[in-house]
Amino acid sequence: MAVDNTLPASGATSRPAAAPASWWSRFWAQNGSGYLFLLPWLIGFFCLTIGPALISLYLSFTDFDLLTQPDWVGAANYERIFTSDPKFVQSMKVTLFFVLFSVPLKLVFALAVAMLLNKGMKGLPIYRAVFYLPSLLGASVAIAVLWRKLFAGDGLVNHLLAYIGITGPSWISNPRYSLWTLIILAIWQFGSPMIIFLAGLRQIPNDMYEAASLDGASRWRQFVKITVPLLTPVIFFNAVIQTIDAFKSFTPAFIISSGTGNPINSTLFYTLYLYQEAFGFFRMGYASALAWVLLAIIAIFTAFSFLTSRYWVHYDD
Amino acid sequence: MRFDANRRQLLVGGAAMLGAGALMGRPAFADETALRLIFWGGQARADRTYGVADLYKAAHPDVTVTGEFLNWPDYWPKVATQTAGGNMPDIVQMDYRYIGEYARRGVLAPLDAYAGNGLDTAAIDKDQVANGTIDGKLYGISLGVATGAMITNAAAIEKAGIDFNPMGVTYDDLKAMAPDFAKANPGMVLTADGSGVELLFENWLRQRGKALYTPEGQVAFDAADVTEWFQIWNGLREAGACLSADEQALETGPQETTGLVRHKAATTFATSNQLVAFQALMPDTLGIAIYPMIAPNTAGGHYRNSSQFFSIANSSAAKDAAVAFVNFFATDPGAGKVLGVERGVPVSAKVRDAIAPDLDEPSRLAVKYVADLGAIAGDVPPAPPAAAGEVEVALKTKSQEVAFGQQSPEDAGPAFLDAVKDILNRAA
Repeated sequence: MAVDNTLPASGATSRPAAAPASWWSRFWAQNGSGYLFLLPWLIGFFCLTIGPALISLYLSFTDFDLLTQPDWVGAANYERIFTSDPKFVQSMKVTLFFVLFSVPLKLVFALAVAMLLNKGMKGLPIYRAVFYLPSLLGASVAIAVLWRKLFAGDGLVNHLLAYIGITGPSWISNPRYSLWTLIILAIWQFGSPMIIFLAGLRQIPNDMYEAASLDGASRWRQFVKITVPLLTPVIFFNAVIQTIDAFKSFTPAFIISSGTGNPINSTLFYTLYLYQEAFGFFRMGYASALAWVLLAIIAIFTAFSFLTSRYWVHYDD
Repeated sequence: MRFDANRRQLLVGGAAMLGAGALMGRPAFADETALRLIFWGGQARADRTYGVADLYKAAHPDVTVTGEFLNWPDYWPKVATQTAGGNMPDIVQMDYRYIGEYARRGVLAPLDAYAGNGLDTAAIDKDQVANGTIDGKLYGISLGVATGAMITNAAAIEKAGIDFNPMGVTYDDLKAMAPDFAKANPGMVLTADGSGVELLFENWLRQRGKALYTPEGQVAFDAADVTEWFQIWNGLREAGACLSADEQALETGPQETTGLVRHKAATTFATSNQLVAFQALMPDTLGIAIYPMIAPNTAGGHYRNSSQFFSIANSSAAKDAAVAFVNFFATDPGAGKVLGVERGVPVSAKVRDAIAPDLDEPSRLAVKYVADLGAIAGDVPPAPPAAAGEVEVALKTKSQEVAFGQQSPEDAGPAFLDAVKDILNRAA
């Protein structure tokens, strides 16, 4: 361990070093037990997250079929992704469409339900739990199977539509609608953003609304001028988290299409394509490259959200 | 921190630890062997497979076989992952599309050394041994003879009173019979849409004197073939003879999702051994028929395929025990009685003779079907190239594009050919 007393570490300034102690012993005295408690997490983070991530970065520059040794191919995988891979383009389209529609709709829905629940009704904890339930079940196999039944040609949805004289197609197996059934499934899992919205709404002081109604502001005006601006930090948080989640969405599409992304690749989510390449077609190197491209795309989206946030998110407390 | 313990606590703790030790380190008998087995299939297949494992355990108490089964689409990712993790099960069920891929990558054990020495290859049909041989070495023991077959809802077909000849039906017949069938069976069509079924497409090519792949693993058909293939199915779809595009797309792999089981179509395109499993899922009496002929009496489309193989992992620590179990599985009459013909017609004559008297109706039908093929069957094609599994997926997707009207058969032909060439080039 290198001993370096010259660096004015920020931790050192708070406690003037009376005796010349090594950097390490000072560090240990101040933070040692903390890191010791963190150790289980640190081991997991380095061994199960950072380690595999670095290996996948290496693999993304190789041709690796899972069964034999990887061969270094330079940037060939990335070259194919960006120049001649129609399935990359298709899966990107599907994923962006899904993110673009599922995230805003889910947030609007979550906020609407949160505002209803915020009226101080009786039995709030029960309602809150019930509305949260789909979020717990959402990624499960059972729900995906149920969705297949609901949206099939002779499913419940079409039976209901028949009452109002509409003959629906088999929503889930028709490439024009299949992605929408997955978007509806995503919106239905509005529980976790709703809970966060609810907490955010509780933070808004009631006297603001009282003052506004004394001044004759309508409910809508109160919502636009008080609720939304004061809620923007929460909206921002939810939007970022939900966008990342939507990009990574995998299970529903995987189960509903039995891992194929069909009909006609209309539910070929980016992660599903990645999975197919890796485990279906033995191209782990290529799949690793796809994973790093996804990471870059999510990073760009998140950075963009943070950069624009200063214009619409108000932290005024 | 201090740790206080009185004598009693120490005693109790010590006893508990001793007990735990006894539980965890099971007394190791000298020759105890645990074999892991993985296969694809449904519950019917699992029951029979585990039945044989129990039978084997009764005769060999020192060998325990534990199994795991998955659906076809989930199976291959699982096997690939386990193999990559150095954790391949000792015995792996293999398909003719994948066995070459695994064998050439050196993860399967060559079994030639066991022939006549633990593995009774002499008792197995020659063509079935050949099917499991890759580049001159034996890598898989065939578990059953099977060939392409339409599984039919015989009850619904009989109700329609149509003249459906199971051993001579043609594509034109399907079209001609469709109106009568639909009249007698509202909400049902005569046949599933087979345009995305690779085995059916291959059968159709072979009837025209072509093939899917050349012996060198290159494409053996041209764009015009593909176009004509999709035109035939567009014709059947427009005539109301086969399932609509969105009904067909509900079929995602498991037998339960087929139009046949969902009572939407009176046929499905499968293999002869699957009759048993389909019958287990449905109350209606099922039948079996050849894949349609392109014209009356056109032979050569079908062939005596192997429904599946058992291969042994090169990494297995108990290869001898695994070979012994596989040998029992494939050639023992007692095992044959448990297995029936759910994996196809047994590959060993003595097993066939042993089970023949006790077969139930669907099993008898399936065996008779394979025997009756006679001159309709042609030679077994050469082993497919490494990326055959991916081509199968590509055909399904392309067939949906055509069925949903997103691409005309004229455009789909060249597009599919390009896609296949790209897949084969990448794998080469």
